[in-house]
Amino acid sequence: MDIVVIHALNALLYASVLFLIAGGLSLIYGVMRIVNLAHGNLYAFGAYVSAWVVGLLVARAPEGASPSTVLLLLLLPAGAVAAAAFGALLEPTLLRPFYKRAEEYQLLVTFGLLMIIDDVIRWLWGPYPLSASVLFENFGSLGIGDAIYPTYNFLVIAVGALAAVFLWAFIYKTRFGVVLRATSQNMRMSSALGVNVNRVYVQAFTLGCLMAGLGGAIIVPSQSAVLGMGVDALILSFIVVVVGGLGSLEGALLGALIVGVVREAGIAWFPEIELAVLYLIAAAVLLIRPAGLFGRA
Amino acid sequence: MAEVNRRDFLTGLGVSVGASLAALPGLPSVGVAHAQGTPKGNIPDHPYKIGHMTFFTGPAAVLGEPMFKGQQLAAEEINATGGLLGKRKIELLKADENAGTDANVKELRRLKLSEKIDFFCGITSSGNTPALGPVAEDLKCLTMFVDGCTDFLFDKAVPNPHYVFRTTNIQSADGITTALAIVQTWPKSKRIAHIHPDYSYGRNAFDHIKIVMKKMMPQAEVVSEGWPKLGTTDFSSHITKAISSKPDLVVSSVWGGDYVAMYKQALRYGMFQKAKFATTLALGVAPHALGKDHPEGVIAGVHSNYHFTYPGGDKWPLNKTFVEKYHARFNEYPNFQAEGAYTTTYMLKTAIEKANRLVGGWPDDDAIIAMLEGMMMAGPAGYVYIRPDNHQGYKDAMIGFSKNTDEYPFPILDPARIITIPIRSITAPPGWPKGEPTSTFTWIDKTWPTAKV
Repeated sequence: MDIVVIHALNALLYASVLFLIAGGLSLIYGVMRIVNLAHGNLYAFGAYVSAWVVGLLVARAPEGASPSTVLLLLLLPAGAVAAAAFGALLEPTLLRPFYKRAEEYQLLVTFGLLMIIDDVIRWLWGPYPLSASVLFENFGSLGIGDAIYPTYNFLVIAVGALAAVFLWAFIYKTRFGVVLRATSQNMRMSSALGVNVNRVYVQAFTLGCLMAGLGGAIIVPSQSAVLGMGVDALILSFIVVVVGGLGSLEGALLGALIVGVVREAGIAWFPEIELAVLYLIAAAVLLIRPAGLFGRA
Repeated sequence: MAEVNRRDFLTGLGVSVGASLAALPGLPSVGVAHAQGTPKGNIPDHPYKIGHMTFFTGPAAVLGEPMFKGQQLAAEEINATGGLLGKRKIELLKADENAGTDANVKELRRLKLSEKIDFFCGITSSGNTPALGPVAEDLKCLTMFVDGCTDFLFDKAVPNPHYVFRTTNIQSADGITTALAIVQTWPKSKRIAHIHPDYSYGRNAFDHIKIVMKKMMPQAEVVSEGWPKLGTTDFSSHITKAISSKPDLVVSSVWGGDYVAMYKQALRYGMFQKAKFATTLALGVAPHALGKDHPEGVIAGVHSNYHFTYPGGDKWPLNKTFVEKYHARFNEYPNFQAEGAYTTTYMLKTAIEKANRLVGGWPDDDAIIAMLEGMMMAGPAGYVYIRPDNHQGYKDAMIGFSKNTDEYPFPILDPARIITIPIRSITAPPGWPKGEPTSTFTWIDKTWPTAKV
């Protein structure tokens, strides 16, 4: 029984981070119709920045003592802020000149960006894994029946859930959300009605990058930052948005939950096909509902 | 097959704790300190071009970077004395193995045909050596793979190599070494859980650990398998599954950044309190990447090859000087890839010098190959022997137990409990028929006795 609870928590943990990454990808696509292939690397960038900041603090702490958990928690979102700032810089400079061109150009530009960010990360932080595990360690573990579970993981799950609630409120309950949805439905009409589309685009892109960066920042204490983590995250988020529907936040949430649960079940009962099972689901959804569960055909 | 006493069989294999090495007189060794003599004949002075392909990007750069640095260090030392045979400076051309197997094959062709490299070196992934080996033979390109250690390369892909060599130990040695360390340390384990990366390395480790256990620990059964993708950093599910199978022992061949993430998560899930733990590559990849929170006393593998603390102290000066020079140059400690590439470069140098003494002038590749075949060299890790029939490098396998010391800010191998195994005891002998999944696997299956429970 305890094990079932722990498997369920593992699935939620995985889904939380996936939702943050895939939600950002979906949001950007929904508003701007851009498939940002570099999105996974913004997640990696967030992870590296947070791990780096935590590492600096640990290095400055007096011998043997670890910096206070509260301070570390306050500084952890640095990766999310850095990814958002990076996004705010990228959209007007690199993406905007290509909106009038065919979609292939955007794919090429964002793919190029993917490789550039990969190299920049390696250049800045080197090839070795960057760890921020002091937070993960400070939180310790919690007993669940006979088993124990890392307490920090609850924080990750909570952040994922809060992000989902906050985004829903933001998009459906605020004025900015209305403008965002209007632009997403018809960019020309919103522009004609006086919406500053350029501004909406840069805001949406920044928000998407913030989510990816937050995903990286929140998970790095338990998993450490490694080269190539961005591409893996990108592939998984594609599975999520294929299942949920590209451009839909509800879809990203449901997709992330499905992928989280199926992966967990796959590892527990069908270890040999752990990887294949996710692609099989994506293939099944594509066959039955090509636009995804929440997609607009 | 007759049953034997487990302890007797291990002793027969030569599995020993704390064995030491003794130097052989007249054996070539790494480094430029020894006198070279004047080369015979006219030596051209244009650079000797080495194409070095390894991972400079992606998660495996954690292995690739040190590999390149090892060769770079050797090349810098050789160039400081004037170059190969005192004349030809080594010029290193980098190529990124992360481009993918097809692109790597094209890049090897390009390096040989347009850059006119004299020598091809490097390679980390087992997926790449079987593709590159036959191409190097076609191109008649003198090649020494540092790693890419799959048995498949010389079992099947290049069964009769002429131009292709490989230095570090073959893959099957990893699983067998770890398994024998388990047999020696925790022979009564019954319930074994496995977590291995889902690609050739993990599959190979799993197969060979299982076959050794079948022979030496017939009571053991596999109670759980986890096959995370290479590059995974979330092991929550694999750990939960392993723990829920109530194992006595968890065995893993996860490595690199993946391994760092895995042991930190396993700590918080309490895995190390519930089961013993054995690995094939934990301390091999980036010794300094592990923290002091890493559990002590676990069987910590180094790819059966090398850990910079062994042979330690003044016992084996070749290692002491190598570690000092490497640390001074790159401000980090060498891993097995760095040692492998460093030794490889000196094997090449020695072969060229020997061939020059025989034929004079700059020796052609066939003369260098003849000198490499059967060469034994003393490197930082100990003796490496290139078997003439399959061009594979053999050195005695080693493994140990993780331990924290005051000397280093990361765990090292417990110097008092190093396990060494003569490589001939754990690899198929020359002439053994090619087998599935590997020749060594069928050799163990057919020739090792079964231990009494």
